[in-house]
Amino acid sequence: MKYLLRKVALYAFIAWSAITLNFLIPRLMPGDPVTLLVERMEGRIEPEAMAAIAESYGITDDPLHVQYWTYLGNLFQGDLGLSIGFHPTPVAEIVMGALPWTLGLVGITTIISFVIGTGLGVVLAWRRGSWSDHALPTLTFLNAVPYFWMALILVLVFSVNLGVFPVAGAYDVNIDRAWSWEFVSSVLYYGTLPAITIVIASFAGWVLNMRNMTVTVLGEDFVTLAEAKGLPKRMVLVNYAARNAILPSVTGFALALGAVVGGSMLTEVIFNYPGVGYTLFQAVQNHDFPLMQGLFLIISLAVIVANLLADIVYIFLDPRTRAEA
Amino acid sequence: MRLRSWLPTSGKVLAGLVIVVVFALVAIVGPMVAQYGPRASGPEVLAPPSAAHWFGTTQTGQDVFAQFVYGARVSLAVGVFAGVVSQVVSIVVGVIGGYFRGLVDDGMYILTAVFLVMPGMPLLIVLTGYLPSRGMISVAVVIAITSWAGSARVLRAQTMSLRRRDFVEAARATGESRVRIIVSEIMPNALPLIASGFLFSVITGILSEAGLSFLGLGSLTSTSWGTMLYFAQNAQAFLIGAWWWFVPPGLAIAIIGAGLALINFGIDEYANPRLRTGKSRAKSAPAPLAAATAEEPHSPVPDQEPQIRPGGSQADPVIEVAGLTVDYDTAEGRVHAVKDVSLTVRRGELLGLAGESGSGKSTLTNTITRLLRPPAEVTGGSVTYHRRGTGAQQEPVDLLHLPADELRRFRWTELSIVFQSAMNALNPVMRISAQFDDVLRVHRPQMRPAARLELARTMLTRVGIDPERVSAYPHELSGGMKQRVAIAIALVCDPDVIVMDEPTTALDLLVQREVLDQVMALQEEFGFAIIFTTHDLSLLLEVSDTIAVMQQGRLVEYGAAMDVYTDPRHPYTQTLLRSLSDLGALV
Amino acid sequence: MTAIETEPASPTAEVVLEARDLVKDFAGRRRGLRRERMRAVDQVSLQLRRGEVTALVGQSGSGKSTVGRLLAQLLPPTSGQILLHGTPVAATSGRAFIRYTGAVQMTLQDPFASLNPVHRVDHVLGRALAIHGRARGRDQVHEQSLALLEKVELTPPERYLHRFPHELSGGERQRISFARALAAQPQVLLADEPVSMLDVTIRKEMLDLLDSLRRSENLAVLYITHDLGSARAYSSRTLVMYHGVVVERGSSAAVIDDPQHEYTRRLLAAAPNPRRRLAG
Repeated sequence: MKYLLRKVALYAFIAWSAITLNFLIPRLMPGDPVTLLVERMEGRIEPEAMAAIAESYGITDDPLHVQYWTYLGNLFQGDLGLSIGFHPTPVAEIVMGALPWTLGLVGITTIISFVIGTGLGVVLAWRRGSWSDHALPTLTFLNAVPYFWMALILVLVFSVNLGVFPVAGAYDVNIDRAWSWEFVSSVLYYGTLPAITIVIASFAGWVLNMRNMTVTVLGEDFVTLAEAKGLPKRMVLVNYAARNAILPSVTGFALALGAVVGGSMLTEVIFNYPGVGYTLFQAVQNHDFPLMQGLFLIISLAVIVANLLADIVYIFLDPRTRAEA
Repeated sequence: MRLRSWLPTSGKVLAGLVIVVVFALVAIVGPMVAQYGPRASGPEVLAPPSAAHWFGTTQTGQDVFAQFVYGARVSLAVGVFAGVVSQVVSIVVGVIGGYFRGLVDDGMYILTAVFLVMPGMPLLIVLTGYLPSRGMISVAVVIAITSWAGSARVLRAQTMSLRRRDFVEAARATGESRVRIIVSEIMPNALPLIASGFLFSVITGILSEAGLSFLGLGSLTSTSWGTMLYFAQNAQAFLIGAWWWFVPPGLAIAIIGAGLALINFGIDEYANPRLRTGKSRAKSAPAPLAAATAEEPHSPVPDQEPQIRPGGSQADPVIEVAGLTVDYDTAEGRVHAVKDVSLTVRRGELLGLAGESGSGKSTLTNTITRLLRPPAEVTGGSVTYHRRGTGAQQEPVDLLHLPADELRRFRWTELSIVFQSAMNALNPVMRISAQFDDVLRVHRPQMRPAARLELARTMLTRVGIDPERVSAYPHELSGGMKQRVAIAIALVCDPDVIVMDEPTTALDLLVQREVLDQVMALQEEFGFAIIFTTHDLSLLLEVSDTIAVMQQGRLVEYGAAMDVYTDPRHPYTQTLLRSLSDLGALV
Repeated sequence: MTAIETEPASPTAEVVLEARDLVKDFAGRRRGLRRERMRAVDQVSLQLRRGEVTALVGQSGSGKSTVGRLLAQLLPPTSGQILLHGTPVAATSGRAFIRYTGAVQMTLQDPFASLNPVHRVDHVLGRALAIHGRARGRDQVHEQSLALLEKVELTPPERYLHRFPHELSGGERQRISFARALAAQPQVLLADEPVSMLDVTIRKEMLDLLDSLRRSENLAVLYITHDLGSARAYSSRTLVMYHGVVVERGSSAAVIDDPQHEYTRRLLAAAPNPRRRLAG
């Protein structure tokens, strides 16, 4: 339990850092965001509106700590300010509209690619020294492919040339958004290609990690002993080798998830998929700083929660973390 | 010839180096040979690849090849620059935190965790979103800021393990200063990690730059692979089928990324020999042999005839080794790890196998247990197991040619093993009960779960452990208890032979004595034969019925323990006994 | 607790290094808000005399290696004093520490781990000579290094100077460790389990070397070991440690041939010995 408490404390600190960083970035970066805004929005917006925006943005002449308390207070009321690009929609509303799409897409694809990747990694480790070693260069290549480029290629092949999947969007706009089979199947259909992109671009990393770890664990005495016990190969591989080799994959989840989230955001842009990635892209294009920050905050918090979940899973996988009573 | 010896042995590393060198050349030389400027527009718009435009042209008639080679320069430069900056940060944070520990380390650890968990790309987007002017340098610095944490964490762990190593303590005892210890003792050993971290950050840098530029957040005034993709995307190149515009930059990113990762493979394999594949794997000498090659030059070569006398038991043979030779293929050629060894293990006896490091005793037991791994190979001789038949009859089994499924049935029911270090021989994530249970489920399929658990508890009682500990995990037991558990597991199927490979070496004298007494009592009770290996000859002389002494792969002396002790005949055995007596072990 | 003084060895030679009531606590498990303290060394006093080998015998966890590290000033003691030539010294860092290591050197147990795999023998010896200012200039360093290798009986010394540790056997590596320690021209050598990782035939050679160095360099040697037999054969005085406490001390012959403390007796009874079988 102590292990868990320590982790919770650490993630609470990280969450606080993300919140504070979010407050500091616009105030500490070279150049004042309001002037930056005026510069970039020149001619597109009335000066009076500009001033109002700056104020809604929370950048005032107050001392920094007063601004910080106001910021925290607003945050806890779920107030992230008003969007500039979609004026006057509250940022929180836009963020909450975009979040489910990304959670669904990234969540499902991450699970799929983790399962495929670790499974394949174990198989490659078991069969090392044979033909399977030749899969490594291909996997390395796949691991280095940029997500968005993979998306472009898939769109070119499957949507433009073959016409099997839609080019963009998350669902057929002619269907009512409701919990109907029609709508759900349309969401699944539109989501397939983005999901395939993310799985292809991310599973190779899990394979390579898992293969290396399993190969290392296969050299341990307890695996040799399992073999000497006359246990069937599958049992040795799953209960002894893979069961131990997966532990670093779970702890390394943070590093991997960050990359997947980053990659999926770009994938969303290609597919005009209405998740946080695409919304962030739009926010950047519109110089919509409040929206940018709101999105950054929600992505960070989501990743932090995912990491905490991974650590809880780890406690179940490794009895040694449960040792401290 | 000189050049060949410089080339890396691993094909993967070689391929990676070739890729990286080719791209470096493209980046350096490409712009000099390109016929067009990267931004210069020509009359031909969206032309497919041709002799005039190797990679075709863009929507505004720019030459894609020119953009590609200029882009290579910018993309690689950003990647390398970001890699250098992020590696410097991670070395400072990781090595200093890992070496000094305490509050400094706590601070660095939390800082690393923050940057590790916070997703890089969104942070990157927000940070660049605020950059007043986006030159490639500031983009590279921002990339470095978001990407140093991963390798800092790895370096910290490595430094922490290195600073506990004896050579660091020895350097301190010599009087070496802290700075010198970090720079000259720790850093060189962390070099593979630093190199691999650097390559990884270069990949991250190239990918991040491409991603940022693709979103229009990079420096749009300079040409990189990312900005090429940005303009291609803006012009809907993939909808109009202008594949030549966006395929080259993306493919290039993937290939150079793969190239760098392949070099990283080589570094990983260098640092962790178990990962090696193919040729490079065969070249690494196996551990027992590596010890043998660097062995003390003083020991007399066993040119004398082996001294074979009757063993200390007259029972029926249970295992017979005849003329066994085991070879290893190494870079320097074939080496005999075991050479023409013949010996007999009799029912219910304790055969002590003595020998110093590199004597081949582990290779011999691994052959008997069929746990020999390539590149070790049996090139001659046989190992016969005499299976108990009905009555007095025995059925000979050729162990070396036992088919896989028969071998699996033979294992543990007729021959089981106790390893030297029980800490590593028990699966750390399984309860003790489960490690009994899987054996029984496989070898005693008719047993019910409750009976299996009951048997596990009984076996624990037999070796003097509270049966309640059956639900414990290995880390909850002391070293001596783990070794007892390992012995209990070895006994659970009532085998005829147990191979004990240095079973008490890792234990304290008092614990060793308890475990030994327990083993002797169990042997009395169950009547199994033991093949007991250790380098501790005085221990063997005390407990064995028969002793076999090995030196450099050969059997030099075999006989009843007391005969060997009171009247050693081979000069090597005599040397061993004399050393023991000089060391005060036989007083 | 006071140790059983079995039969005091005649105190003749000068005391070089002395420990008085050394105590070392380590931070243990956290219990609630408080950290438990683990006492690794408890009120240990000992004297190392010029030209004499003192054995410190104990099983793993007895605190014997911690005593070695305290004497080498690699760890600061929780309480107690270390006296060099009668003067209390507390120097775990800086100039004072370097000066101290010029007089007191330590070698470690595992010859495979105690040499940095990336450095050649000449670097190892050269650094040790440079730190303590025992040689200046390249020629002098080279000459001194060769002399050190000869002292530890690695001949011809030129053969060993440019080798990496992995090109040496375990015994050769341990000799290099001794040579590195001797480079400082110390008066005290703390040898932590110098032979436990080596083969039996090499052990004897190693302890013979240690003994001859003691004589030729007039060294005060602390021989830390878990093996009572070799303590009897190679040291004049023996201290037995158990759970951080010295439970018995005296001349080696007396302690091992006629042990007074229960623990020493149990250790001796547990040591493997074929004679037991001959006797009955």
